[in-house]
Amino acid sequence: MTSASSPATRIELPRILGAIRPRARWTETSLIAIVAVALVVGSVSLSLGVTGRLAPFDPRGLAIYVAALVLAHVGQVLAGRRSDEILLPVVGLLGGLSLLLMERLPQDLVTLDIGETQLGLGDVQLVWLVLAIAVATILGITVRSDSWLRRYKYTWAASGIALLLLTFVFGSDVAGQRLTLRLGPISGQPSELLKVILVVFLAGYLSENRPLLIEQDTRLGPIRLPPLPYLAPMVAMWAIALGIVVIQRDLGAALLFFAVFLALTYAATGRLSLVAIGSVLFFAGSALMASLFDHVRDRVDIWLDPFADPLGTGYQIVQSLHAFARGGLLGTGLGEGLPIVGGRLPIPEVHTDFPLAALGEELGLVGVIAILGLFFVVIERGLRIGASAADDFRAILATGLALVVGVQAFIIAAGNLKVLPLTGVTLPFISYGGSSLLVNAIVVGLLLALSDRGVEPPPPPTDVRRWRDRLRRRAAR
Amino acid sequence: MIATSGRRRPLGRTIVHVAIVLALSFGVLAGAGGYWAVLRSDELARSPYDPGVIAASRTVPRGRIVDRHGTTLARNEKDANGELYRVYRGTAASQVVGYASTRFGRAGLELAYDAELSGLAGDPFADALRKFGSNPYDPKDMQLALSWDLQRAAIRALGDRRGAVVMLDPRNGEVLALASTPVYDSSAIANPATSEAAFEVLRRDEDQPLLPRATLGRYVPGSVFKIVTAIAGLGSGAISSATTYKEQPAAEKNGLLVQGFRVRDGHHPETGNRPLDFVEATEVSCNIWFALTGLRTGGEELVDYAGRLGFGAPIPFDLPTAASQVTNGSGNAPGGFVDDVELANAAYGQGETFVTPLQMALVASTVANRGELMRPRLVTALIGRNGTRQIGAQSLRRVIDPADAAAISEAMTRAVEGDLGRRFTTGAKIPGITTAGKSGTAELGGRGEPHSWFIGFAPAERPTIAIAVLVEQAGRGAEVAAPIAGDLMAQHLESGG
Repeated sequence: MTSASSPATRIELPRILGAIRPRARWTETSLIAIVAVALVVGSVSLSLGVTGRLAPFDPRGLAIYVAALVLAHVGQVLAGRRSDEILLPVVGLLGGLSLLLMERLPQDLVTLDIGETQLGLGDVQLVWLVLAIAVATILGITVRSDSWLRRYKYTWAASGIALLLLTFVFGSDVAGQRLTLRLGPISGQPSELLKVILVVFLAGYLSENRPLLIEQDTRLGPIRLPPLPYLAPMVAMWAIALGIVVIQRDLGAALLFFAVFLALTYAATGRLSLVAIGSVLFFAGSALMASLFDHVRDRVDIWLDPFADPLGTGYQIVQSLHAFARGGLLGTGLGEGLPIVGGRLPIPEVHTDFPLAALGEELGLVGVIAILGLFFVVIERGLRIGASAADDFRAILATGLALVVGVQAFIIAAGNLKVLPLTGVTLPFISYGGSSLLVNAIVVGLLLALSDRGVEPPPPPTDVRRWRDRLRRRAAR
Repeated sequence: MIATSGRRRPLGRTIVHVAIVLALSFGVLAGAGGYWAVLRSDELARSPYDPGVIAASRTVPRGRIVDRHGTTLARNEKDANGELYRVYRGTAASQVVGYASTRFGRAGLELAYDAELSGLAGDPFADALRKFGSNPYDPKDMQLALSWDLQRAAIRALGDRRGAVVMLDPRNGEVLALASTPVYDSSAIANPATSEAAFEVLRRDEDQPLLPRATLGRYVPGSVFKIVTAIAGLGSGAISSATTYKEQPAAEKNGLLVQGFRVRDGHHPETGNRPLDFVEATEVSCNIWFALTGLRTGGEELVDYAGRLGFGAPIPFDLPTAASQVTNGSGNAPGGFVDDVELANAAYGQGETFVTPLQMALVASTVANRGELMRPRLVTALIGRNGTRQIGAQSLRRVIDPADAAAISEAMTRAVEGDLGRRFTTGAKIPGITTAGKSGTAELGGRGEPHSWFIGFAPAERPTIAIAVLVEQAGRGAEVAAPIAGDLMAQHLESGG
C-alpha cells in the first residue's frame, strides 16, 4: 500500500524492526479486559435467555472474537506505536454486540457454503469481524506515511466516481436499489468505500485551498462567499449526491455524503454561510426529488405517519418502534426478545437495517443510550485526533473519518427511531455485512495511524508558496 | 489588496463546533429512544399490531370471564395444533363478552379488556420487575357483575324480537343484565375451524346481530323521556310537584298552540276537565303537561340536566357506548333547539331525541338512588397472579336532590300501581312489591309500529334493581315492554336479589 516511489518511505526493512521497541498500552489493556468480561457476561445472559443454560452461548465464536481483539492489542504493543488506546476497545465492544446479536437471530438469514460446511449468519459475521479487526490493526501499525493519500487526491476522486459509474452500469439490483457490484465470487457495496474516498479527496482539496477559502471573498449582495471557482467542488458534490438518489435510489448514502461534505467544509473554513447555502441547496434538491420521484415521496410519507398503514408500507418502521416499546427502559434481556412470529421475523431486514431496534428490545433504553454513547466516543476520539493533528490535511482527514462513522450511525439510528426518514445505510460495526465492516475497519485503522505521534512528519507546506504566487498573479492582473 | 495572515487559524475551534453539533444530534436520538421506549411503550407494546401480542394470543391462555356467581362465561380450549381458542357459555351474553378470534380480532369485553385478559397490562413498576422473571404474561381472570341467569332470562323474554334489556343495581351501578337481541354464536367466531363461515353469515344478517343494541343502539324514547323532563323541571325549580297548567285540559282536545304549531295529544277522559298535577300527569302520561313543563323549564336547563344524567357524551362504561341526545343541537334557540315546537315535542320524547337503552336505565337508576348517578359497571374484579384488583362503586354525580327524586319516584309508583296507571301500564307490577316505572310508546313518524319502552325500579321504597326495556317496533310500551320488565324484576327479587 505505501508508495515505494516516495523517497520518504524508502526505509530499509531491518531498520524498521530494529527501530521498533515494544511499548506498553495499559489503558488499552484494561479496556480490552473489561470488554472481554462484558462480552462473556453478555454471552452467558444470551444463553440463559435462549436455552436457559448458564454457559456462554457460543464459546467457540466468543473465544475466536476475543482472541482476535487480544491479538490486535498485542500486535500494537509489539509494534510500539503510540496511537490512540481507546478506539480499539470501543469498536471491539460494538463488534462484540454485533456478534451476540447475529448469533441470536435466525441463522438461515445468511448462509455461506464452504465445501461441505455451511456457515450461518453468526459464523459469517464472525469471519468478517475478525477480518475487520485484522485490517484495522494492520493499517494502524503499518501506515507510517500519508503521502499516498495526500498526493493523489484527484486520482482518488476519479476512482470514486468510476466506482459509482461501474456500480450503475454493472451493478445488480437488490430490493430496488442498485448498490451491489459483483466481481466474480466477490460482491460488495462500493458506496461504502466511496465515503472514505470522498473524505480523502476533501481532505486534500480543503487543506490545499484552505487559505483561499477562508480569506478571499466574492460578494453576492449581503452574502460573502469564497471565490466562485472554488465553489465548483461543492456544486459537483451536490450533483453527485442527488445523482446517487436518482440513480442508485440510495437516500442514506446521499445524505451521508452531503452532511460529511458540509461538516468538513465548515471545519476547514469556519464559514457558516457555506453550510447554510449547502443545506438550502440540499433541501431544495430533496424537495424537488420528492415532487418528481415516487420512491422519495413514499419514503417521506411513511416517515411522517407510518401508523397510517401499519401492516403495509409502514410495517418495517412500525415494527421497529414496537421493538423499542417492548424493550422499555431495561429491555427484555439478551435472547429474551421476540422469536419468529407466524413464520417471519418481527422486523424484516433486522440484521442489516434494524440492529439498533433489536438491541433496543433486548437491552432497553439503557442499552440504546450506551450504544449511542459508544459511537460518540468513537467520534470524539476521531475529532480529538483531528484537532491535535500536525497539519491541516491530517486534521481534516481524521475529522472526516470520524464523521463518516458518526454521521452514518446517526442516520440509521435516526431512521430506526423515526427521527429521520428510513434509509438503508448500515449501522457501523454492528450491522451484518462485509463491505460495511471492512470499510469501517479501514476508517479505524487510518484513525489509529493518524493518532500516532511517532509517524513521519508531514511534508513542509510548499503549497503555501504556490497559492500565494497564484494570488499575486491574479491581483496583478 | 488581499490580506494574508502569516499564520492560519488552527482547525481545533471549528472541530469543537462539529463535535457539539454531533453531541446534540446524538442527544436527540437518546430523547427519541426515551419517547418510544418509555413514554409510548405501554401503548405500543399492547397494540394488537404488536407481534408480541399476536404471538401471545396463540400460546398464552387468556383470563377466564365469570359472572357474579362464579359461572364461567369464557374459557380456553386447545385445537389440533395445540393453539388456544376461546369457548363461550351459550349465546345470551355474546353482545357483552364479545369474542377473541385470531382471524377476526376482538369484540365486546374481549376487546375492551384485551390487555388485562391477555396479561399484558399491569402497573409499570411490576412490569419492570417482571422482566427478571421467566413469564412476562400475567393474564387476569375477570369477574363480572352480570348474572348469567338474569341475562339468559332477559334474552328469552325478548324472544325473536329485536330489542334490549338493561338491569342494574341503582345503589352501586352493578350491571346485572345487558341483553341485546338478536344474539350470535361467539364461540363459532372464536373457533378457528368455524370462524370464517360464522362471520360471513353474521355480516350478511339484516338484523345486525353484531350491533350491541343496549349500548350502541339509539332510539326515539317516547314517554319514558318524560322522567328526564321531570328531573330537569324539578331540579331547576321551574316546577314543583303541585304545578298545574290551566290551559292543559282544553289543549288536550284542541291541541296546544306553540308558535303557531299545534302540539296534539289524545284526551284522557278519566281525568275529566281538571288540570293535572305532576303525579297525575305522569300516571296518565299526559303529553301536554310535559310539553308545557319543557317550555317552562327551557331548552338550556333541559339539555343541562340531561347532560348530568349522561346525555351528550358516551357514558363512561366498560364497553363503548353511543351518546344519547335531547336535540341534535342544530338550532339557535337555547340548548340548541330549532324552536319551541321542537322543545315541546322533545319534552315528551318525540322531536330529535334519541337515546340508548343503557342511558334510560341510568335515568331510572338515578331516580331510584335518590338522585345520585352511579357509574355503571360490568367488571367488578380482575384476578391476577399477584392478587385481586376490585373495581368498586363510583358515584358520577348528584343529579337532583333526594326530595325531588322522591317526588319522581312517587309519580313513577303511581304510574304502575295507581288506579289509572294500572290501565296504562299493565304487567309491570311485581306481586307483593311496590313497583315504580314509566312506559313509553315511541312513534316513528308513521314508519311502522312504534318502539315499545319501559323504565322502572323496585322495590319503590328501597330500590335494589333498576331496569330499561326496549323492544323495536313492537307496539305500545304498556303492553310489550312493561310485562317483560315486571317479570325480570320479579325473577331477580325472588332469587334473593
